[in-house]
Amino acid sequence: MGEYTMAKKMMLFLWLVLFLYVPASGVYAQDGMALVEAGFDYMRGKTSISTVIMTIHRPDWQRTMTIKAWTKGQEDSIFRIIAPARDSGNGTLKRGREMWTYNPKINRVIKIPPSMMSQAWMGSDFSNNDLSKSESLINDYTHTIVGDETHEGKKVYVIKSMPKPEAPVVWGMQKLKIREDYIFLEQGFYDEDLQPVKIMTTLQIRQLGGRLFPVVWKMQKTDAEDEYTMLEYKELVFDTDFPDRLLTVASLKTSAR
Amino acid sequence: MHLQLAWRNIWRNPKRTAVIMTAIIIGVWSMIFLGALMRGISEGMVRNGISTLTGHIQVHHRGYRNDPVIENSMTDPEVVETALRETLPDGAQWTSRVRVNAVASNARHTAGVTFVGIDPAHEAGISFIGKAVTEGRYLRDDDKNGIVVGRALVDKFETGLGRKIIMMSQDTDREVASRAFRIVGIFKAEMQATEKQFVFVTKEAAQHMLKLKNGISEMSVILPDQKEVRHAADNVSAALPSADYEVQTWRELLPLITAILNIYDGFMYIWFVVVFIAMGFGIVNTTLMAVFERIREFGLFKSLGMKPMWIIREVLAESFFILLIGTTIGNILSFLSVFALSGNGIDLSALASGLEYAGMSRIIYPAIYSHDVIIANLVVFILGLLVSVYPAVKAARFTPVEALTHA
Repeated sequence: MGEYTMAKKMMLFLWLVLFLYVPASGVYAQDGMALVEAGFDYMRGKTSISTVIMTIHRPDWQRTMTIKAWTKGQEDSIFRIIAPARDSGNGTLKRGREMWTYNPKINRVIKIPPSMMSQAWMGSDFSNNDLSKSESLINDYTHTIVGDETHEGKKVYVIKSMPKPEAPVVWGMQKLKIREDYIFLEQGFYDEDLQPVKIMTTLQIRQLGGRLFPVVWKMQKTDAEDEYTMLEYKELVFDTDFPDRLLTVASLKTSAR
Repeated sequence: MHLQLAWRNIWRNPKRTAVIMTAIIIGVWSMIFLGALMRGISEGMVRNGISTLTGHIQVHHRGYRNDPVIENSMTDPEVVETALRETLPDGAQWTSRVRVNAVASNARHTAGVTFVGIDPAHEAGISFIGKAVTEGRYLRDDDKNGIVVGRALVDKFETGLGRKIIMMSQDTDREVASRAFRIVGIFKAEMQATEKQFVFVTKEAAQHMLKLKNGISEMSVILPDQKEVRHAADNVSAALPSADYEVQTWRELLPLITAILNIYDGFMYIWFVVVFIAMGFGIVNTTLMAVFERIREFGLFKSLGMKPMWIIREVLAESFFILLIGTTIGNILSFLSVFALSGNGIDLSALASGLEYAGMSRIIYPAIYSHDVIIANLVVFILGLLVSVYPAVKAARFTPVEALTHA
């Protein structure tokens, strides 16, 4: 009798291991990719039009500008600075992996060459690459859920994103925290020694543009406490249709909007 | 007879003779030795320049030199290879390269570099890179993602063997091409600037990344004899359609080094003259002293019926002996010192960062050129005799009566 229960328990344990544990981890791995994609879509929508205040903070100075941004899908977007007046009219267009900038003072559209891709965008802690390869997170990485936390009563998935072996990305790893309602809470950029280089966190999740959305995004280099770039969403509208011609080099020049 | 007289005269005051001889020895030594050093420096610069991906002759698509962009690459390297095969002398070697400006980056650092796609086997015999890898290994033909970078770049990027480095450049469609490479080897070069500037991958990997198909940026040639460069370049040039290709020798490819070589040439002769002027005053002074000491003697010679010409010859013979002994010892000393340094050279590693501005090597191997030695000796000898003419004439002019008034 005793032996019987023992064997039964063993069997039960094996069942658990085989049918629950193994598939569960498989689901986890698949879910990682799905979760990141869903999160990406949630944060960007099919299209989005937003007004953002960008604050660049440095130990001895700080500067603020207002940016209006249109995005379409995962790949195309246009940013235009609308304030302060001094910088107004400067714009950046991104289509696929290519980027152009426009400076009204010289009235020239410049295609950003590879040599400038790693440089800071508008002096911020975002590089041109961060913008131009935003979709690289989906294409160049494999995502694994490695744990979970809770945030404001909701479950948060911690995702370890490792670059595919031949992917042209500089990072050794990215670590994402995505809430179960697809809100990105954190994106950490790590080098090949898996030491953090810079971390983006989002704060103040609120109803914005018809959905819950983090209003404040902060990009911080880990080795410089006092240096960060903060984005604060003022207006945000999702999924309104706008014509494709808005995302062209010609429209970059017309600062009438 | 006057030779014997002169020989005995110079040893009448051995101290004075020794002093002026020392001046001549040091003068000759400094001319030849410093000349050899300068030749060594310039030879080092040329050797460096040629092995740092220049070669003796290069073939490019017309316009590449002015604007080294991907559009100016040679799409059909076969044409060039055929021309080289037909015109170059036996023993000439060549290799093709893809060479574009690119940006290297990793998680924390970014730098502009020259991205070079090479044919590992051929390249090894032509430029420095074949022997320069000190850690890891040199490229292999089948290295799809292997990259060889310089020590200085590795330090700057805080990276190491096996680490990833991302290269970005413009491809033939004018789009941003980027690709991940892993460091398989680290090379050391004469100059840090070289270590920072160049990164090497296989030609195929570069062509694939830049969508070049078979295209190459340059063809670099090494000839068995450097003297044939001009002639060979003309031959290659004649064999290629001049509208599409340009052929240049290292003198044209390294204009700065060519200019420095010319400056060194001029500088060396100026140096010879400067040393000689200092030495010349010494010779005149000493000889004059020797002459004034012997006024009574010269008066006696005169009264015994010696012709002024004989006296001049006697005094010049004294200078001749001093110069002969001085230059001989000076030559021997300078050959000895050059010989002593020819093994290990003069290691200036401590000053390397400063020297790099001038494009100089860390180690100088003095090089003796026969025409420098001949010119140095001739300058000392002929000018030395020439300046001795003045005291000699002075001696010849003493009259017996004048000499009597001297005590």
